[in-house]
Amino acid sequence: MGNWRKYVRERFAESGDSGRADEPVVEELAEHLEDVYAEQCATGLGQAEAWRQAERQVEDWRKLRRDIEAARREGAMSERVTKFWMPSFVTLLLGWGTLALLIWARVQPFTTGARGAKGLIVYAPWLMVLPLVGALGAYMARRAKARGWRVYGAAAFPAVAAALVFLTVFPWAVLVDRNTGPDFRLVSLAADGTSWVILPGVMLCAGAVLEGRAGTRGQPRRFAA
Amino acid sequence: MIRTELKRGTAELAILSVLEHGPLHGYEIGRQIEARSRGALCYTLAALYPLLYRMEHRGWLKAGWETGANGKPRRCYRLTAKGKKMLTPMRAEWADLFRALRRVAKVSHG
Repeated sequence: MGNWRKYVRERFAESGDSGRADEPVVEELAEHLEDVYAEQCATGLGQAEAWRQAERQVEDWRKLRRDIEAARREGAMSERVTKFWMPSFVTLLLGWGTLALLIWARVQPFTTGARGAKGLIVYAPWLMVLPLVGALGAYMARRAKARGWRVYGAAAFPAVAAALVFLTVFPWAVLVDRNTGPDFRLVSLAADGTSWVILPGVMLCAGAVLEGRAGTRGQPRRFAA
Repeated sequence: MIRTELKRGTAELAILSVLEHGPLHGYEIGRQIEARSRGALCYTLAALYPLLYRMEHRGWLKAGWETGANGKPRRCYRLTAKGKKMLTPMRAEWADLFRALRRVAKVSHG
């Protein structure tokens, strides 16, 4: 009886890449080769010939390794899409779409700055809608079996996207706009950041938290045996 | 023997079909396909496992370690509800393909 585990491990190591194979995969492939070998021996072949027959199951170990990795990547990719990107896209579309509708309907925001001074811009009706959007994003993510940061990331994605835009645009604005002082720029960043990132983010996450609580309450109780 | 490219396309349907009758480990899946196709469809380890892992990640199969008849742990694959749902349209699709081929190439059942 040959040591097929050692054989598979060695072939994978020789195939390059990271040089280390996933142990359950090694185990499973070794069991398969052992079955082929045993079957060949049972037909009356000598051990050396049976070994050669089993070896012929894989002509190119590098290709096998690549095929296995590709199969797993495909799975991981589709999982990321359903657990994170799909709910994120929905919250982004609904979140900013609702704001666009309010602006189109000429709903006026509440502003704290007076006479050109930079202040907060609060679209109260928009902020009231955001927990629903966040809850929907969290529901979609949880339904796809996402947990932890993915749920909150997907729910708060409109705020995350706004933060990314700010972080990209603000350093350029500081460099280009030389007419305003550094204090004013910092006030602008703080005011815009609060209006478009922090407040919406809090409301979206509040929706995700409420959805999580509602989901837990809806589940049947589990009793320990 | 059927050419490799053609066989690869049939493998998903063949795997789902043999698992319809109960869970099997990889080697047994290959054996059953070979037996039921009377030796026309033979999948080597290199062809079978990447496909099994892909189908598992798609959620068509669920795999778990179970103790085999010889007391050794084996990774057994079973069909999921999603996998069962895939079978009917896949069978219809292949039937359509064979009908179309029959019309075009005058291929008939043996």
